[in-house]
Amino acid sequence: MRMRRYRQQEHESQHGIDLAPMLDFVLNLLIFFIITAIFVKEYALEVNRPSSFEQSSAPSTAITVGVFANGEISVDGRTVDLRAVRANIERARTADNKAGVLLVAEPGAKNGLVIETADQVRQGGITDITFSTSE
Amino acid sequence: MKSRRHNPEVEDHGIDLAPMLDFVLNLLIFFIITTSFIKEAGVTVVKPSAETVEHSESGNILIALRANGDIWMDRRQVDIRDVRPAIERLHVERPEDTVVILADRNSNAAVMAKLMDEVRSGGIKQVSLAGAPLGGE
Repeated sequence: MRMRRYRQQEHESQHGIDLAPMLDFVLNLLIFFIITAIFVKEYALEVNRPSSFEQSSAPSTAITVGVFANGEISVDGRTVDLRAVRANIERARTADNKAGVLLVAEPGAKNGLVIETADQVRQGGITDITFSTSE
Repeated sequence: MKSRRHNPEVEDHGIDLAPMLDFVLNLLIFFIITTSFIKEAGVTVVKPSAETVEHSESGNILIALRANGDIWMDRRQVDIRDVRPAIERLHVERPEDTVVILADRNSNAAVMAKLMDEVRSGGIKQVSLAGAPLGGE
């Protein structure tokens, strides 16, 4: 390496810049970026969360879906199975296709069930989901 | 270009650096551009499976909620009261980032509601819930 540099200097000085330090630097930078690159992309579904002020003024056309601590699910007051949520939502949507869903979870309800319910609601065609808890 | 000029005089010049340098610089630029500044949660949770989940493009702040109620963000466990200042700080740094909550299947919905409220009061209004896509990918 050093040998070569000396020889270059001997031969001619209009050689341009010496590439070696720049190459070292660029390679280091490259390795740094390769190491710090994170290829994580999360899959997620979006839900709204009402602020405490808006809570009382939820749209009157909302379909209320309840998730209870004992694992039960209710749609507009009727207890239904998780697999029946989608059909219920579809039916409710034919009556009012602008309706949103108010997802009310009882404290102690499992988030797995909450998210699966939200997924079923989305499969039923309603993406406007507001997440709330019953105090 | 260098080696061409030198070929008659010096034969032991080694490899020509110019194409390699071009290539390495391109690689470097690629990695700089594709680097996304994701704040990982630092803990794995059992995500509920869901069919309608989508890629959240701007969801760069991941907050994990474990079954026992522990909250993890930015690779360390935090208290629920520390979430708001942390979110405020991250929101100032990169205002377009949104939050993805990775809730464990068995975590409590009340804790998640509180967590979402803390995130909202920290200034990030868009919160998504992570799920594992059913199709595998």
